[in-house]
Amino acid sequence: MAAVAERTTRPHNRRGPHARREARIGLLFVLPCFLLFLAFRFGPGIAGLVLGFTDYTVGDSTHFTGLANFQRMVHDPLFWSSLRVTVIYSVLAVPFTILASLGLALLTRRAFRGSRLFRSIFFLPVVTSLILASTVFIWIFSSKGPWSELMGLAGLPDQAWLTDSALVLPALAIVGIWSRCGYGMLILLARLQDVPRELEEAALMDGAGAFQRFRYIVAPQLRPAFFFLAVIETTNSFQIFDAVYVMTGGGPANASYSLVYQLYDAGFKYMDLGYASALGCVLFVLTVVVALVQRLVLGKEK
Amino acid sequence: MTMANLTVEPPPAAAPEAAAPAPVPRRLRERDTVPSALRPTRAGRLLRGVLLTAASLVTVFPFYAMLVLSLKPGAAVSLPGSLLPWNLSGSSYSAVLDAQDVPRWLLNTLVYSLVSVVGVLVLASLAGYAFAKKRFRGREAMFWSFLSMVMVPYHVTMIPTFIMMAKIGGVDTYWGLIIPTLANAQAVFLMRQFIKDLPDEMFEAARLDGCSELRIFTSIVLPLLKPILATLGTFVFLWHWNDFLWPLIMGQSSDMRTLTVGIASLQQQQVPLSQVLAGSVIAFVPIFAAYMVGQQYFTEGVTGSAVKG
Repeated sequence: MAAVAERTTRPHNRRGPHARREARIGLLFVLPCFLLFLAFRFGPGIAGLVLGFTDYTVGDSTHFTGLANFQRMVHDPLFWSSLRVTVIYSVLAVPFTILASLGLALLTRRAFRGSRLFRSIFFLPVVTSLILASTVFIWIFSSKGPWSELMGLAGLPDQAWLTDSALVLPALAIVGIWSRCGYGMLILLARLQDVPRELEEAALMDGAGAFQRFRYIVAPQLRPAFFFLAVIETTNSFQIFDAVYVMTGGGPANASYSLVYQLYDAGFKYMDLGYASALGCVLFVLTVVVALVQRLVLGKEK
Repeated sequence: MTMANLTVEPPPAAAPEAAAPAPVPRRLRERDTVPSALRPTRAGRLLRGVLLTAASLVTVFPFYAMLVLSLKPGAAVSLPGSLLPWNLSGSSYSAVLDAQDVPRWLLNTLVYSLVSVVGVLVLASLAGYAFAKKRFRGREAMFWSFLSMVMVPYHVTMIPTFIMMAKIGGVDTYWGLIIPTLANAQAVFLMRQFIKDLPDEMFEAARLDGCSELRIFTSIVLPLLKPILATLGTFVFLWHWNDFLWPLIMGQSSDMRTLTVGIASLQQQQVPLSQVLAGSVIAFVPIFAAYMVGQQYFTEGVTGSAVKG
């Protein structure tokens, strides 16, 4: 890295006082931001990964314990449960979020009377805090809420979704889809603007129906946006915490106890910060794996 | 259906040239922007309208329920009745404002959001300008260190930052809450990307006229940055307004909670539902107002970051 830096800066330093002044100014402008970044992102980022290999708790002396945290994790049923909860949640939430995004994007694709209004409505949940939304979703999913009312109309027993361990993750996924599909809609809309209209018209002249036009003309153009969304939404859903904290507290019987919830619990309830950091390392690895898979798939495309 | 659409479309009538008044500017409609062949048929438009209305109702329902139930103290009784907008009363609002620290939480949230927005915008525009237009030793190394943190989840850096803040007495203080969030690498990337596209000639000319660097920055660069500052500012504001985990671990006393943390605590204290929802509405109104005013910036922020990222 240093070599790169020198190669780009040295020739200009030779140009004399002007370039030296430019360099000084540049450094001066970057420094406040860079020092903050070192102190609160880069440093803690490295420290967070290193802490995963220690037994850090508040007060006691800290020892480097190698892989002990990870060995403990392997034997920790709560860890496997939280990992399973996180993965199942993602599997439920991500595909449906992307599908819903696609539906909304296709419906609001063209400019027609009210199209802007509809887009703003669908995007509104994205700007709403999940904490606030969760307060009303607790009621929506309660046994007195509209869901069980609907169930009752269909002749099914009324059900409090959040207290049923089989239904709690689907319920949280519904909240996730509701809050995120407006974001996906916007990403896909931006891509849809780039689909060449002539191609679609030509296909139409050749007698292609709406589905065929979507399948062969529009969908291929959307591929990069789908991949982008898949990665963003997957990493996002790996980090599910806010809604769990407010709506279920990890329950019932740990059925919604997610990885970040365990990280929070271990670190800030039990002050077991070494173990919490190790859980952070797992989250980091999961994030990297998703990005690598995306890179591989996209690489194959080219 | 599509063929029908093609033939039904009347040929464009020859405009009576003399009488034609100046075209009235109006918002573009489907009719103006989409070639007739791709326009949906009447049945297609109807179907689209039905689907869009249904989706909108589903999207809006939680907001509606939040508002109506917050105006119905004494718990939601029978379901269909409780959602109808009569017998409303604002007593939950006065209760939650009196008994709880809601005004204080609102103040904390405002401080957290606004100070962070100003801080991030100043720091990121300075750094972005230097990264984009200045050459100096270590530039690449610094930039790569920023980039290297993209993959590291926030939760990993959060733990050591908390430990550090606990050691230097920053827990439960405004500065402890705010300062770590000023190091926003994404903001720097966005700024650098935007400033890169600004023409160098303007800066050169000003320099030749003897402008100081600070003067160039404040009177040439910053005005050019207005659109991106607005977009980024909206985004940072929103992110801080909705942020939960960091304020949760940094705000130990009730006085230092932000709205999101405070409302989550109301929920856990078994405060009546209508009061929790009243608190939610109070927290939501400023965001909603900002959204109504600055929709363009909200949406540009999303698509901008996606296209560039």
